[in-house]
Amino acid sequence: MRADFNLYVRRDTWLHRLDPRVKLAFVVEATALLFLWPSIWMAVGMVAFCSIVLWLTHIPAVQIGRAWRTLAPLMLMVFVLTALFGGGPGQVLFPIGPLKVTIGATYRGALLATRLLALALIFFFWLFTTDQAAMVRGFLALRIPYDWGLTLALALRYLPIFAGLFQQVREAQQARGLDLEQRSFWQRLNAYRPVLVAMVISALRHSERLGWALEARALGTRGVRRSVFRPLRLRGIDVLVLIFLTLTLIGGITLRVL
Amino acid sequence: MTADIIVHNLHYSYPPLTPDGDPVPVLNGVNLEVQQGEFVALLGRVGAGKTTLCMTLNGLVPHATGGIFRGEVTVLGLNTKEHPVADMARSVGMVFQDPESQLVQMRVEDEVAFGPENLGVPTAEIEKRVNWALKVVGLADYRDRSPLLLSGGEKQRVAIASMLAMYPRVLVLDEPTASLDPEGKAAVFNVLSDLCSEHQITVFMATQELERIARFADRVIVLHEGQVALNGPPAEVFQHVAELQAWGLGVPQLVELGHVLSQHTGQSYRFTSMSDAYRQLRRQARKVRMRKSQGPFPPPPSRAANPLAALSQIVVENLSYTYADGTPALRDVDLVLPPGEFVAILGPNGSGKTTLAKHFDGLLKPTAGRVLIERRDTRTTRVAELARLVGYVFQNPDHQIFAPTVREEITFGPRIQELPVTIASQRVDDVMARFRLTPYAELPPALLGFGQRRQVALAAVIVTQPKVIILDEPTGGLDGRSRQELLEVVASFNVLGRTVILITHDMRLVAEYANRAIVLLNGRILFDGPPRALFRQPEILAQAGLALPPITRLADRLEAEGMAAGMLSSAEFAAAWQARLPVKHKRKKKARRTTGKESTSDAG
Repeated sequence: MRADFNLYVRRDTWLHRLDPRVKLAFVVEATALLFLWPSIWMAVGMVAFCSIVLWLTHIPAVQIGRAWRTLAPLMLMVFVLTALFGGGPGQVLFPIGPLKVTIGATYRGALLATRLLALALIFFFWLFTTDQAAMVRGFLALRIPYDWGLTLALALRYLPIFAGLFQQVREAQQARGLDLEQRSFWQRLNAYRPVLVAMVISALRHSERLGWALEARALGTRGVRRSVFRPLRLRGIDVLVLIFLTLTLIGGITLRVL
Repeated sequence: MTADIIVHNLHYSYPPLTPDGDPVPVLNGVNLEVQQGEFVALLGRVGAGKTTLCMTLNGLVPHATGGIFRGEVTVLGLNTKEHPVADMARSVGMVFQDPESQLVQMRVEDEVAFGPENLGVPTAEIEKRVNWALKVVGLADYRDRSPLLLSGGEKQRVAIASMLAMYPRVLVLDEPTASLDPEGKAAVFNVLSDLCSEHQITVFMATQELERIARFADRVIVLHEGQVALNGPPAEVFQHVAELQAWGLGVPQLVELGHVLSQHTGQSYRFTSMSDAYRQLRRQARKVRMRKSQGPFPPPPSRAANPLAALSQIVVENLSYTYADGTPALRDVDLVLPPGEFVAILGPNGSGKTTLAKHFDGLLKPTAGRVLIERRDTRTTRVAELARLVGYVFQNPDHQIFAPTVREEITFGPRIQELPVTIASQRVDDVMARFRLTPYAELPPALLGFGQRRQVALAAVIVTQPKVIILDEPTGGLDGRSRQELLEVVASFNVLGRTVILITHDMRLVAEYANRAIVLLNGRILFDGPPRALFRQPEILAQAGLALPPITRLADRLEAEGMAAGMLSSAEFAAAWQARLPVKHKRKKKARRTTGKESTSDAG
């Protein structure tokens, strides 16, 4: 069983090999365009574009399908709620009791839902194609202080370990007769108290040792500038993509302003 | 040439555990020296201060721990009191027991590069070091794997590699193999041995692995009552059998055999290695013309004929279990466990041992098939209800300890069972006395040492008097006496007719205690029968990565000389050997006449 919150899918495509900073630039730009342009066609276009990109990355269809399925209820909710309560101008399509479903509200619901999908796909592209180590290296290369980068790396590294720890502690407690299958929410919450205490004790022990381990690895040596094992370098393809991104951004803004 | 490590008159006490308590003395005048390229093993009881001594060598004690520190520790000419840990780390590598808390990166190569990066080593040079370090520990192909998904042994090798990449001259390891399976242990010891001999790295290692110390270490240092009690080559140190045992430390099994044989026969036996023991005993056997063995031991009672089988406590039918991600963990397992058995579940890591055991108390529900505990189907019975019948002691005591005091921790089970207060408190007192935890009754368990925390965990389960007790790797990291005490409690529990299920890699333990061994491989039962029968099946042992206890191996090798094969303990071996010795060496005729008699302990 894995619970490492890592969506990365290992494939060897040129999109996977792109510099993490370039991928981050794409995420920022695509998001900006999406919001700059309050048009459903922009959102649909972005969904189409991201789908093509995801197809190019050889991510299994099952995985993309799962992303869609996770989003579907949220999209439906956004659409229905906006259509029902959005009000706004335009012809009334049909009334439901005191509520009036207008064309304007329906359009806005559709726009928000599609935008949500487009936004999710943009981020999924980033998460599917960038391993966590590369993400952290990308942030560091963008001059984020090393301590922050290390903290992020440690958080990503230890999330699954603590999730596993929680599971183990819970099982150990259940095996001693702790009834976590009780009915009422409050009873269950109360029953979880011993689990949380044991969990906190373990986590504290863990972090003390982690501190020692980091010191033993010479973290914070006086008078030394940290070096980098795999420095990021922009290659030809990265530069090309960056130029493409810059041009589309300038084009987008120009069109919008005009 | 000055020694790499010089510890001079070292006294150390930890800061008080409670605000109004006293400092806790651990080291009390330690003196030792270690030369370059030596492989030194540090032996001592749980709580003897091994970890503390290791941590003084890179300055974590006292820089990170505080406490009262007197005396001097000099490593490679640097006084640890005057140099911060990060500076010491340039030349002293440190590997801890738990691989989880020392791997901090998401890729193996980043992990190994992390230390050199902190030292500001240029990029091209780091690349070279990463390649070298991973090659030395035999993980050259693992560069872009996630450390999270490696086995325990692989993780520890990554931890060692990440130290090596800093080019240390001294490598300090604190019980790095305590939680590994035999394969993982062997891999780590082989790597360390090569580091000493080929790269002249000094290795200082706290460990309880007696058999491997005897084979690999150049020198053994025994820590007792805060001081160095014995110091010398393994063969020499382990001859102090009586002292070591009195101090609660074990000795390698062959050394123990020499000791027991000497007591049994009145002659002197001293074994330093398997080949040495074999040569000595063979020579003796040929000289005195041993009597032939009386054949194998009586067959174990057949389980099919066991009238209790019908009342079996645990019945597993066609059990299959598949994890949520689709990985099959158990396939078509059938098993019947009558009450009162002492069962060992064996197999390599990932073979399904823990998965199977978790079905016995309902923590996991079958994907297919069913499990009955005293005729209750685990699929429809609450875990809390099964917990009254089946006690489960987990591998890591910290996962189950949560109460503010030892007494409350142990009272948790009886309280949940809603026992009357007087009965419950009587039981709790009894159990605490039995585990010698009474003096700590009002202390927080988290403040106790590892061995004691493990005892608290076991006591907290035993006190509920379950009909079945499951122990998952209970002896990892325990010294000889703690291990023996734990097993004696478990054995006395078994004598009352209660079932013991032991998940373990420790074959010596299986030989000495279990009456049934179940070997799992890839989620299927590969073998199910008495340990003695298992030990006669080399192909099964090899398949499951299990190694015979040294004594059993020795007896098997001596079979040609008239020794009965399949010996399980030193006492059994000594009794059998004595029975083969002619009563008087020169009067062979008389000796031959008494051949029919077997030593009674042979039947065990």
